[in-house]
Amino acid sequence: MSLLEFARGPAIHWSLVILVAGIIWRLLGVLVLTRGADLSRPRDAFGNFKGYRTVFSRAWPNGEFTTATRYQTIMAYLFHFATLIVVVGITPHIEFIESLTGASWPALPNALGVAIGTIALISLIALIGRRISKPEIYCSNLGDYITWVLIAAPLLTGLMTFAHIGPRYETMLAIHILSVAVLFVWFPFSKLMHAFWFVFSRAQSGLAYAHKGVRI
Amino acid sequence: MSTQVTTAGVFPSFEQVFQGFASQIGMLRQMAPKPTLTDEVRVQRAIDTLIAETNADEAVWLESCIHCGQCTTACHYFQAMGDSKYAPMRKMELYRRIYQREIGPFRWWYKLITRPIKLKDLEELQELVYDSCSECGRCTMVCPMGIDTASLVHHQRSALVAAELVPAELAALRQEQKQMGTVFGSSAEALLKMVATIREQCGVEIPVDKPAAEVMVLSSAVDLVGNGNGLLATARVMNHLGVDWTICSDGFESANFGLLSGDMSLWRKQVEPIVAAAQRIGAKTLVIAECGHAYPALRWNPMLKSDALPFDMVYMSEYLGRMAKAGRLKLTPIEGKFTYHDPCKTGRRGGAFDEPRAVLKAMDADFVELPSNKEYNWCCGGGAGIFLLERATKLRDESFKIKLNQVNATGASTVVVSCASCRLNFEAGRVKNHWDKEVASLVELVADHLIDQPAAAGTTPRQGVSA
Repeated sequence: MSLLEFARGPAIHWSLVILVAGIIWRLLGVLVLTRGADLSRPRDAFGNFKGYRTVFSRAWPNGEFTTATRYQTIMAYLFHFATLIVVVGITPHIEFIESLTGASWPALPNALGVAIGTIALISLIALIGRRISKPEIYCSNLGDYITWVLIAAPLLTGLMTFAHIGPRYETMLAIHILSVAVLFVWFPFSKLMHAFWFVFSRAQSGLAYAHKGVRI
Repeated sequence: MSTQVTTAGVFPSFEQVFQGFASQIGMLRQMAPKPTLTDEVRVQRAIDTLIAETNADEAVWLESCIHCGQCTTACHYFQAMGDSKYAPMRKMELYRRIYQREIGPFRWWYKLITRPIKLKDLEELQELVYDSCSECGRCTMVCPMGIDTASLVHHQRSALVAAELVPAELAALRQEQKQMGTVFGSSAEALLKMVATIREQCGVEIPVDKPAAEVMVLSSAVDLVGNGNGLLATARVMNHLGVDWTICSDGFESANFGLLSGDMSLWRKQVEPIVAAAQRIGAKTLVIAECGHAYPALRWNPMLKSDALPFDMVYMSEYLGRMAKAGRLKLTPIEGKFTYHDPCKTGRRGGAFDEPRAVLKAMDADFVELPSNKEYNWCCGGGAGIFLLERATKLRDESFKIKLNQVNATGASTVVVSCASCRLNFEAGRVKNHWDKEVASLVELVADHLIDQPAAAGTTPRQGVSA
């Protein structure tokens, strides 16, 4: 079995199994816990329901915090959207998804894919630069740096593969796929799970404050 | 003097009250109980308490933090000290470690890779959850995950109660309230004495222990052992409104050192006589004195099924605001430029935003909002019992400068507060910084601007000046 065959075969498939099983295990492990009851009377009879809007409203920081959050919010949005577009928008990814699910859709032009991938990588570098330059603000731990490296690796290796830089194409492609496999394995155990938690976390706080008539 | 005192000479000015309190607080440290349990038992009790209080909400919040750093600069204690240990995200790190080791979905793994909890960890936690978090919730407003750090901090205070690690001042007051039922010695006798003084010296009647009344009013230790003007002002306003009101000598204390220390059983125990008294006299409304944390202690008490109670619980500023909106407060216009400080416990964590502003409007006040206000207000730095902690003096004094600058930016000559704890902290800041602003209590301000035609009980409500 060549490195590429290993990457395309057992590596990516087993990492996907760990990804899915790990996500389900961690979500269930938390969500099966009991919910604490707040017995006090809500400010408005149906006011608590308004708390759910925090799930959406917290997508952008309030003007009160603009100065402190502007740089990071813009970079984070660039990174998230650019990464998402590359993950589902370029031909080789669509072919991989099609091989797993049978679903497929039109791909972006290659040049655009490279441009967006570059934006994702640059914004990620911009974020780590800020994290490193302001240690007192970010209180970073090992997990923060491991997560950054494991997210940056597929972006970097993907761009290198696409542009035929570095080792021979097949080797580079194998390295790219393996970097994704490592990311998939890391995902359920790391802060990357915020992809799911944010909905629950925002909703809970939104409801708790709406109970008191406060819009957060 | 910081406030206008109508009945000059009867009671000390608030500046004198503040100085008196400072010396009383000094004595608390000697009265604090000493730990009695072994280190292992204390650690285990802290862990057990946290596990018992951890539901899905807490677990999700602990799981959600991505170390994005947004909360750090939203915290007044970080702003004051510039030290990353005061970043809100770090105030939940030990809690997360305990959660991950004990009940998290990967606990078998975290037991392998994390250190067991030691008493030293809990001792270090004390500064983070008592001295440097007033549970004001401002960090929640910026957190992209919306994590409610304040409630996580509160659970950790509970854990430190179990571990006998409450800071000396709060521990002494918790012990006093638990064993004697008083705060700073403010017993039923102290209440009756203060009521008699107010009647004799100021000619203002305070109906105590009426068998039945529509409105039950609470007082607080700050009123009884220091600031008689607070109770006097309350009485003048209630008499002006002509409502059927009373104070119950078996349930009058707003302050709750169960909530402040994190002792949930004492919190519950302190609330019981108040609820019982209100039910006995058939009250329709319970008015909570200007004592910020008493609002969450009673109105937002998660252990008290208030839907089933026959009365409403309202904060003093809420009550005044409702009366002002209904045109029942007849007030003279007020001179000068005013701003209003939302106490964390009644504002962001209580929701009483409009009512205090309605009161100022009813006085035709030249009112200007603070640059950060309502949900985004900065804590004064003294909330959640921190005003009492000598060790937290620098944290308080430095963080108060944010408030000082914000008030200065409004150009107001007076900042109105509606919380005894905020007011004491403002007073400390005013004196230390030789600040040229006045600090006024909302209820005292109202009492000083009543258009007083003696209002008998049952008088038809009159229209307010501009409500």
